[in-house]
Amino acid sequence: MLSPPHPPQPHPRIQERVQDLLQMTGSSVQLGGGPGLPEQRHPTGLGPLDALLEGGFPRGRLSEIAGPASCGRTSLTHALLAHTTASGELACVVDRADTFDPGSARDRGVDLARVLWARPPGVPEALRCAEHVLRAGGFALVLIDLASLGETPRVSPAVWPRMRKLVAATSAACIALTHQRLIGSFADLALELGQARPCFEAGPAWLESLEGHVALVRNRQGQDGRSIPVRWRAHDERAA
Amino acid sequence: MPLAAALRAHPELAGRPFAVASAAGPRAEILAVSPEAARSAVRPGTTVVHARAACAELHVQVTSPALERAARDALLDAALSTSPRAELAPAHTGLHAAEAAVFVDARGVEALFHSETGFASALGERAARLGLPGVVAVAASRGAARILARQLAFSGESLRVVPPGGDALALAPLSLDLLNPDDDLANALTRFGLHRVADLLRLPERTLTQRLGARIVPLLELARGHDPSPPPPAETTTRFEEAQELEFPVHRLEPLLFVLNGMLSRLLERLSCRSLALGELELELGFQSGGCDARRIGLAAPTLDPRLALRLIALSLESKPPGDAPAHVRLATPGAPLRGDQLDFFRSPGPSPAVLDQTLAELAALCGTERVGAPAVADDHHPDAYEVAAFRPPHAPAAATPSSIERAPSSIAAGRHLALRALRPPVHAQVDAPGDQPRRVRSPLANGEVIHCAGPWRTTGRWWSEDERYAFDHYDVQTGDGWVFRLRKDHVARCWSIDAVYD
Repeated sequence: MLSPPHPPQPHPRIQERVQDLLQMTGSSVQLGGGPGLPEQRHPTGLGPLDALLEGGFPRGRLSEIAGPASCGRTSLTHALLAHTTASGELACVVDRADTFDPGSARDRGVDLARVLWARPPGVPEALRCAEHVLRAGGFALVLIDLASLGETPRVSPAVWPRMRKLVAATSAACIALTHQRLIGSFADLALELGQARPCFEAGPAWLESLEGHVALVRNRQGQDGRSIPVRWRAHDERAA
Repeated sequence: MPLAAALRAHPELAGRPFAVASAAGPRAEILAVSPEAARSAVRPGTTVVHARAACAELHVQVTSPALERAARDALLDAALSTSPRAELAPAHTGLHAAEAAVFVDARGVEALFHSETGFASALGERAARLGLPGVVAVAASRGAARILARQLAFSGESLRVVPPGGDALALAPLSLDLLNPDDDLANALTRFGLHRVADLLRLPERTLTQRLGARIVPLLELARGHDPSPPPPAETTTRFEEAQELEFPVHRLEPLLFVLNGMLSRLLERLSCRSLALGELELELGFQSGGCDARRIGLAAPTLDPRLALRLIALSLESKPPGDAPAHVRLATPGAPLRGDQLDFFRSPGPSPAVLDQTLAELAALCGTERVGAPAVADDHHPDAYEVAAFRPPHAPAAATPSSIERAPSSIAAGRHLALRALRPPVHAQVDAPGDQPRRVRSPLANGEVIHCAGPWRTTGRWWSEDERYAFDHYDVQTGDGWVFRLRKDHVARCWSIDAVYD
């Protein structure tokens, strides 16, 4: 049996010159196998949550936020939108259930002019909307809100691997909001929010806050299994 | 023109024996025939039954004024793509009744097309691309150019450029019939043995007017190449329209979409010839009974994608079907320029304008035009009020503002403003509320005993309108199943509903 021909080695002086050239231009291209670029993260703006997520939601990856009604999912996504738009980046909300409240988002600090809001009639249309937006590029955050109140939408299992591949070709953080976990292992990161406890002040009665927990149940690039408490205040402390 | 107009709408007939008749039925007169039909001895002026006897495979199409009008407009579009000043020639009667012509002011075209020959060639190509192959003649006057073009149509050449001052010389050898005299004048000229333009110009004008009357004067001016007509006006509108009469009323959506697809393709060819794109669509469906269904279909952004436009039309027809089977279709649009894409180092990151427009149009086709855009808070006290604005992300980067997110103690992540999920429309609820304090809630969402309740907070408005006035009492409620929501008591409709959920 003939052995394969030995691959020619680059001349050492040529290799040196290439290395010098790469250093001069400040290129991030490495010669040979070097350390890869750190994965980019999309922060939420909430310190402890960003610490839990090791910097934020991963860009170019599919993530999932699951939880029952009144658990704080929407408050978390509004925080994400506020941070995204405050950075001058664009976000897209694919709102299948048509529940996005502009007033609530504005009060949270979201720059509504930087948010593209699409309200498709059904789940297949919602996923196609997300695909179009991801293919267009230029959006730092794409939220697919499938968290219809009280029911789990039917999604073909073939959808998520395709969506994951599409997101990987972009620099967007694509996050699906669901009532129960739908994406499974195709999500690089998954958060589960437990049932939150509302705090009502007495005399006069008013809703002061919603307290719950955020658990990192899946993290492909790091550790999972941790959780942190969260509290969403209904009103400004100064106003109170 | 009848033949070209029909072939433009039915390109599948190209290469086949094909004729255009004045009306439906076997006794209708044949107006124009394709070269393949002419080879089978089918002639204009005969009846349909005679034509079919001469050629069994003959396909006969009834003449359509709508198609001819659209074809003439397309011819004008081709002309306007080469020069800003162009005008359709008035229709003639008699021998040249089927002719369609457009006058183009060719002054200064050398800067764009290098020469008048290049201009004529480009004009011919663009007209052919729109399904209107023809001939181009360039001369110093309209009249001379039209006569020379008529002569080209018979000679088989496609273009001719007459040098400045050479009109009279070019016209001299041509037949007087090309000047389109009326029948009496033509007979008189033949009796006098005058057949060519040069024959006419050899005779003194005074003698001619004495013998033939004042009607010979315009013909003489034309023969000399003099034309007092002003140059064509500059174009003032950019409105594009295609219309088509259907052979029979269409009862199903798919065949109608097939026809509309063809009309959209022809519209888009004309638009791209003029460097424009589809703007808002105006669709008119005419019925045999005389009524019509007219509707406007908005586009999120100008587009040249026929699939998008067809999808929006289909959505409109599905959501609001026409009252009867259409027998006549008209599709129009104001041409809109496509948004340019200019690099800007200082522009905030985002999709390029052209890509964004295309994406918005795709989303609008999926969701509906009014369901895609940037959310906005309405200037209204009604709790359900909101607006959707056109999505035009600001170019300036976000202003540096103090972070609105307070750094919470390390163990707790806290944010301001618990968010609401609005319910559109509000979900009806049955509420046991003795003394106006909710005690138990039953609804498709939340059910159970009320554990905590805060409120009411009253909102009223539009009291001046009997139909629009509202008066709500809102409560923040937690029920035993874990839902925390905003409960609304409507004093006008006298009912309870859940209009938002705290999440």
